[in-house]
Amino acid sequence: MAAMIEVQDLKKSYKETEAVKGISFEVEEGEIFGFLGPNGAGKSTTINMICTMLKPTSGSIVINGFNANKEKNDVRASIGLIFQENTLDEKLTANENLKLHCRFYNVPKNDRERRIQEVLHIVDLNDVRYKKVETFSGGMQRRLEIARGLLHYPRVLFLDEPTVGLDPQTRAHLWEYILKLKKEQGITMFLTTHYLDEAEISDRIAIMDQGGIIAVDSPEELKRQLGGDIIELSTSDNAQAEAEVQALLGESDEFTINDELIRLQVENSDAFISELIEALSVTITKLNIRKPTLNDVFLAFTGRDIGEATGT
Amino acid sequence: MEGILAIWQRDITKFFRDKARLFGSFTMPILFLLIFGGGMSGTMESMMAGQLPEGGSDFNYIEFVFPGIVAMTLLMTSVFSALSIIEDKDFGYMKEILVSPVSRVSIAVGKMFGAATIATIQGIMLFALIPLLGLSYDFMSILQVIPFMFLLACALSGLGLLFASVIRSTQGFQMIVNILVLPMVFLSGALFPINNLPTWMEAVVTVNPVTYGVHVMKNVMVDVENTPTQIVEAMGLNLTVFNQEVTVLGAVLFIAGFTLVLILLATQSFKRANA
Repeated sequence: MAAMIEVQDLKKSYKETEAVKGISFEVEEGEIFGFLGPNGAGKSTTINMICTMLKPTSGSIVINGFNANKEKNDVRASIGLIFQENTLDEKLTANENLKLHCRFYNVPKNDRERRIQEVLHIVDLNDVRYKKVETFSGGMQRRLEIARGLLHYPRVLFLDEPTVGLDPQTRAHLWEYILKLKKEQGITMFLTTHYLDEAEISDRIAIMDQGGIIAVDSPEELKRQLGGDIIELSTSDNAQAEAEVQALLGESDEFTINDELIRLQVENSDAFISELIEALSVTITKLNIRKPTLNDVFLAFTGRDIGEATGT
Repeated sequence: MEGILAIWQRDITKFFRDKARLFGSFTMPILFLLIFGGGMSGTMESMMAGQLPEGGSDFNYIEFVFPGIVAMTLLMTSVFSALSIIEDKDFGYMKEILVSPVSRVSIAVGKMFGAATIATIQGIMLFALIPLLGLSYDFMSILQVIPFMFLLACALSGLGLLFASVIRSTQGFQMIVNILVLPMVFLSGALFPINNLPTWMEAVVTVNPVTYGVHVMKNVMVDVENTPTQIVEAMGLNLTVFNQEVTVLGAVLFIAGFTLVLILLATQSFKRANA
């Protein structure tokens, strides 16, 4: 498959700091590309540069065959953006917001009515088409925003924390729809989220930290690279337990202590767990064995929980 | 083109939907007219009568000040309408506009036309008061002055755009604009003649676009030919800059040039913007 977004050696520096330190990656046509990283990692700066909103210090960005630095308007016409903050005009009706968008993006006049109905149907807002946006709930506004982002049939849809502030039902509905879009229309999606369970739907994930990309791979591969299962336990005396676990694992340093929790990784938890229980002289108060999640991947790469990293 | 129209239409729709703003914009110019017209006409007229024994008593201050009040209304509304740019930034909508393929010139022109249209509508509303004030302007001259009012409003809203693009807060914008608007009104000849000013004030008068706007409006609306020369001079209907008499055409060209420069500057600021 051809690359829809090609980023090469992209840099952005401000007076003192280097926000993005020469990153390169490709997003293939039709894939969902997850972009993860804590606040201040350079995610927003990168997205703003890709969306032509910010001038890179150096490096090149090509989207849908257009150079983001020189052919700005072609790039703008090729992409749709769903921002995390509200960018609707609340004083206008849903219909007016959508009509304006059609005009900004030169949607053919005779196709506008059909497309507006289509996107409103998708997000289930047909009933409130002629109501002012200020009367909408947060979830309805979000849905309208997504509908609007699809009106001009973008080749790439940027979703920047699209489900923040939505109830679980709406969130689920939204993802269902996003997957449907991908399947039926082949729209490429560029997604940032810090709900890691949501990032699982990505075909590939890039993890960004401190201005650089530290890993790009499929969620499965990233988790597989971590190696084995994860055991988390807490005991009546964690210091004692730590020493004993250390002794059991030998030189291996594959365990971390996070608050009250000892976390370790083993190839095969079934065999290991009985050894562990035997080896511990202190009482186990909590024990959890599971397959690695993206949060573990995140933790392994950045040394932080994405939850603490983003401050949520 | 479609982009300009869309941005323009949005601002107009929002203007007519905002009832408080609509009421305020009807009332404010009427207040100005009542206060300046009613309050100052006695003084100005007796001054004229004293200065010019023959013919001075025919002088009608309201007739002189009316085009000035219209110009002042245009100035206020045009400049303050640029506030919509700051609001759009605050409420996020500017992002929707900036990430779209609408050309940056279209954004500047659309915003400018929106503000200018609202200002011109207000100016035209003032014309409805002409019969009530007992004035009589030639109907043709009023028709002629309307397109010029739109041009002047474009120039002034361009000025507002420029300020709105560099000032981040609503309050800051209002402060700066107030400081700017007052001298622009008082040193334009809109309300009183600008003869015999100190040199530094002359300089302000010369660069003030409102001066030229008022000059054109007065010369088109007031029947200068049938007005005694002394009154024309006393009321400053003959504007001279660098010892050159400013013609109506010259003033119109100045305003047009001023507008073009502002469009270019505003376009540049939208190019740099990343809401």
